[in-house]
Amino acid sequence: MSAPPRRRGALAAFLRHPGAVIGLVILLAVVAAAILAPILYPTSPWRMVQRPFMPPFTLDRFPLGTDALGRDIAAGLMHGAGVSLLVGLVSTLAALVIGVPLGALAGYFGGRVDDGLMRFTELFQTVPSFALAIVLVAILQPSLSSLILAIALVSWPPVTRLVRGEVLSLRSREYVQAAVVTGQTTFTILRREILPNTLSPIVVLASLMVATAILLESSLSFLGLGDPNRMSWGFMVGAGRTAIRQAWWISTFPGLVILLTVLALNLIGEGLNDALNPRLSRGDR
Amino acid sequence: MIGFVAGRVGKGIVVLLAIVVLNFFLIRLAPGDPALVMAGEAGAGDELFVAQLREKFGLDQPLPNQLALYVRNIASLDLGYSVRQQMPVATLIADRLPATLLLTGSAFAISLVLGVTLGALAARRAGRAADTAITGLALLFYATPLFWVSLMAIIVFSVRLEWLPSFGFESVGAGHAGLARAADIAHHLILPAMTLGLFFMAVYVRMTRASMLEVAGQDFVKTARAKGLGDRTIQRRHVLRNALLPVVTLAGLQAGTLVGGAILTETVFAWPGIGRLMYEALLQRDYNLLLGVFVVSSAMVLVFNLVTDVLYRVVDPRIEAAR
Amino acid sequence: MLKRTLIGSVFSLGLIGAALVQPALAQTAGGVANAVIQPEPPGLMLGMVQNGPTQMVAGNIYEGLLRYDEALKPLPGLAESWEMSPDGKTYTFKLVGNATWHDGKPFSAADVLFSVDFLKQTHARARGNLAKVASVTAPDPRTVVFTLSEPFGPFLGIFEVGSLPMIPKHVYEGTDYKTNPANNTPIGTGPFMFKEWKKGSFIRLVKNPNYHVAGKPLLDEIYWHVIPDAAARAVAFETGKVDILPGGSVENFDVPRLSKAKGACMTTKGWEFFGPLSWLWLNNRQGPTANKAFRQAVMYALDRDFARDVVWNGLGKVAVGPSSSSTRYYNAKLAKYSFDPAKAKALVKESGYKGETVRLLPLPYGETWQRWAEAVKQNLEDVGIKVELVATDVPGWNQKTSEWDYDIAFSYLYQYGDPALGVARNYVSSQISKGSPFNNVEGYSNPAVDKDFAEGAVAVGDAKRQEIYDRVQKTLIDDVPIAWLLELEFPTITRCKVKNLVTTGIGVNDGFRDAWIER
Repeated sequence: MSAPPRRRGALAAFLRHPGAVIGLVILLAVVAAAILAPILYPTSPWRMVQRPFMPPFTLDRFPLGTDALGRDIAAGLMHGAGVSLLVGLVSTLAALVIGVPLGALAGYFGGRVDDGLMRFTELFQTVPSFALAIVLVAILQPSLSSLILAIALVSWPPVTRLVRGEVLSLRSREYVQAAVVTGQTTFTILRREILPNTLSPIVVLASLMVATAILLESSLSFLGLGDPNRMSWGFMVGAGRTAIRQAWWISTFPGLVILLTVLALNLIGEGLNDALNPRLSRGDR
Repeated sequence: MIGFVAGRVGKGIVVLLAIVVLNFFLIRLAPGDPALVMAGEAGAGDELFVAQLREKFGLDQPLPNQLALYVRNIASLDLGYSVRQQMPVATLIADRLPATLLLTGSAFAISLVLGVTLGALAARRAGRAADTAITGLALLFYATPLFWVSLMAIIVFSVRLEWLPSFGFESVGAGHAGLARAADIAHHLILPAMTLGLFFMAVYVRMTRASMLEVAGQDFVKTARAKGLGDRTIQRRHVLRNALLPVVTLAGLQAGTLVGGAILTETVFAWPGIGRLMYEALLQRDYNLLLGVFVVSSAMVLVFNLVTDVLYRVVDPRIEAAR
Repeated sequence: MLKRTLIGSVFSLGLIGAALVQPALAQTAGGVANAVIQPEPPGLMLGMVQNGPTQMVAGNIYEGLLRYDEALKPLPGLAESWEMSPDGKTYTFKLVGNATWHDGKPFSAADVLFSVDFLKQTHARARGNLAKVASVTAPDPRTVVFTLSEPFGPFLGIFEVGSLPMIPKHVYEGTDYKTNPANNTPIGTGPFMFKEWKKGSFIRLVKNPNYHVAGKPLLDEIYWHVIPDAAARAVAFETGKVDILPGGSVENFDVPRLSKAKGACMTTKGWEFFGPLSWLWLNNRQGPTANKAFRQAVMYALDRDFARDVVWNGLGKVAVGPSSSSTRYYNAKLAKYSFDPAKAKALVKESGYKGETVRLLPLPYGETWQRWAEAVKQNLEDVGIKVELVATDVPGWNQKTSEWDYDIAFSYLYQYGDPALGVARNYVSSQISKGSPFNNVEGYSNPAVDKDFAEGAVAVGDAKRQEIYDRVQKTLIDDVPIAWLLELEFPTITRCKVKNLVTTGIGVNDGFRDAWIER
């Protein structure tokens, strides 16, 4: 296996992609905001610090203005970065934890196992996913963990389909057959020989899933299903939307950062795709 | 082909049944029940009141009995009765389904037509300014929260410009009939269908572009070129036709997402469809109605998947039914 | 002895309505009213379904025996006059002679007797209100006599359309009420008749040409539009698609803008009968809130002026105690708590609070309530109380409050004009019972309070009742069984061309019988 040199070439290819570099810069800025939030804005972003509905750029201390209760929007955006990233990353990881093993098993064993697992996957793909997410959050009652779980539970099927397809094609390769003949256990074969080679498309898919998860969280918050103890961007847009006519800035700024972050993640995803899977077409599975 | 369709329908029914059972229990895990909701809305209520309501909803029966009854009803195509709305679930859904079909259908058509056209254009101009502009625009629509775009569209097109109505399915009480009514509905449809369609358009733009670029590099296209066929003919007859296959597959997979996305659109635009019905039924714990919407929308997705699979086989007879 | 004639009542209605400045002759008949209804009601049969939106629409279809003006004095409805016996135990109602049901059958005393029976089975609040009724008789088709087992001060206050709607006997007698098909095509005696309901879109009512009040109603039709999103409702009003936004149909943050729009009028009248009062349930059974000093600390910690000015845009009044100012025997002199974080901090300390996390349950009724909960959380955290917001939807909220699974929970309830009708239920120990979010949810129990409320209900004479209710209010305000927030005001926003929409203390819920549109 010649992974390391290929990866190095991939990094160069990735960096040659102008969109990907822009995406990476934006994403790093968001990560920096999340890390710096407790230092730059040590008090809670929920504190009512100034008069309500203060437009942006009126006071230097509150560059982005205040919301309906007089809370600092800049502080909310900084603290919200961490929440949104957390939701995006953890729910994607959870979706991978569900999706990768199922896809690997289906693809490796084929036959009845494959059939059963794919029927199960279909079940989740047939129910309109957003509707299912809403029901899940309603059952668990809105909180950060229930949001993450609901998002993970509706976003794993594409992972399973992708991994299954990859494993299916790798299964018949000579080095895998060789491993089978030498009597290695299924688990070892999957872990050592097969899964490392499916990593590239999974990474690409995962970067897009983080973006989708952030959007999903904001949609759920819009419907009033967010965690009321966490200042997330979705919450800010949702809470500001009723006042959108008299105070555009309350939901515009968080809306913009969601847009930028999702855009960045997509650009990174495309860059990764071009760099890691030069021969593969996008999402073609 | 008939065997293939029959097999798919059989598998679809199994999936549908599993959805019914899964959701039946999921919904009942949620806190509160319809009786409590109605007592709450009445702003008054004692135990007798709540007990009466529970009996009315059939909630005093053991859970397995409730499930058995429900599955038996579904098997005879009876979706049950919504005690809250005092109407059969089938009637309630049938009332709302056309609006959702119209909305998702138009949004789907918009996204597919625009997506494939723009994607093909981008592929032909790959690497040039037009390509960057198209992919950038598509990405922008994809990255903007759907409800946000909807609100903005209302403010711009309904409030500021006064071009388009901001809510509803048609002008209530206007007394339109025939063509005038169709035009009126179409007028109301523009904003919700466009906002929903543009979001999904992004997906097809990317898919078509990537797929066309890949196909363009394949041998049979080179052969066609070597044969001296014109560029236009090659693009249309060879590249686009083959590139559309994965797009069709994707479209099938997107059906569920599209129906889900309609919930937000229907809420913002007061579009009287089943997405909103589902959300309201959930908040009211109207179990039968909620399950009914799940069954119907899942069946919609299954039918849609079947249609795309059949289409796929028609477009490309070489494909053996893998599943 | 109280006696009113039809002529007298018409005169008093004229005084209340805008007709004072506008001669009655200028009223033009005809036209269509477009109003918003939020949320969509589950049904319109007012005898079976009693939620807010149902009454708002069905208040046009059904009628009660009485209506009430802004001072809660009874006005004629289906009863044209009434009298009470000197011992306060017999009430005789004389019914109007020309009322008919929407299907043409005449309305008579037999319908009243049937309705009382019907509502005792289906209407929880009516059941409570009628508890002291020993018998109801109809000596002739136009006379109904209620005989009580003991005097009941607020008895004349229970006949409003939402509390005791008249149900047609000929449609419901001998049928299963729950499945009667007429539930979907409600039949009443009211000024408007049910015509069409396109679920998810609109409800359409049309003029009742045989209405028993001559010359009414003036409107031809009413459309109630169903628009689920608050921002979209505001836009619908701005773009002229609807002309009437009943209280609570837009978010408060939109109220100043909409009511200042060109040609828009606003009134906060029409809720006097309901007297909506908001408060925080404080769980008296367990946790820090079981301690009286802690509960008083909560009262001092709350910045209720901020809540009114910012969250409610200046609408409403800071609550004094358990009674709303439009409820009888309210006493403003009993006010005790002001915003005083220092005092709150001291009381928190005194209570022995050890930093436990207190769960705060917001009311899931939209953004206003959510913002309010966030503000209250900050208020409490500022005096050292650790608070966690618990998010739920409506069913979850109902379950958690009625199963007592909370520390602090937002709520608001109607008072129906009299402490015996809408106040006592939240404080007397006989009302401690799981399963309802509207009784003594906090679990407060005080024999002195129980005794006072029991005596107040049956005492005869206003002076006597005032004395008793002053005493009980004072005790409650000191004990803080719950933390009273604001007397809510729900602004009704209309296009100014819509006249005489709100003419009674029941407001929009009383139907559009007097409303007309200027052209």
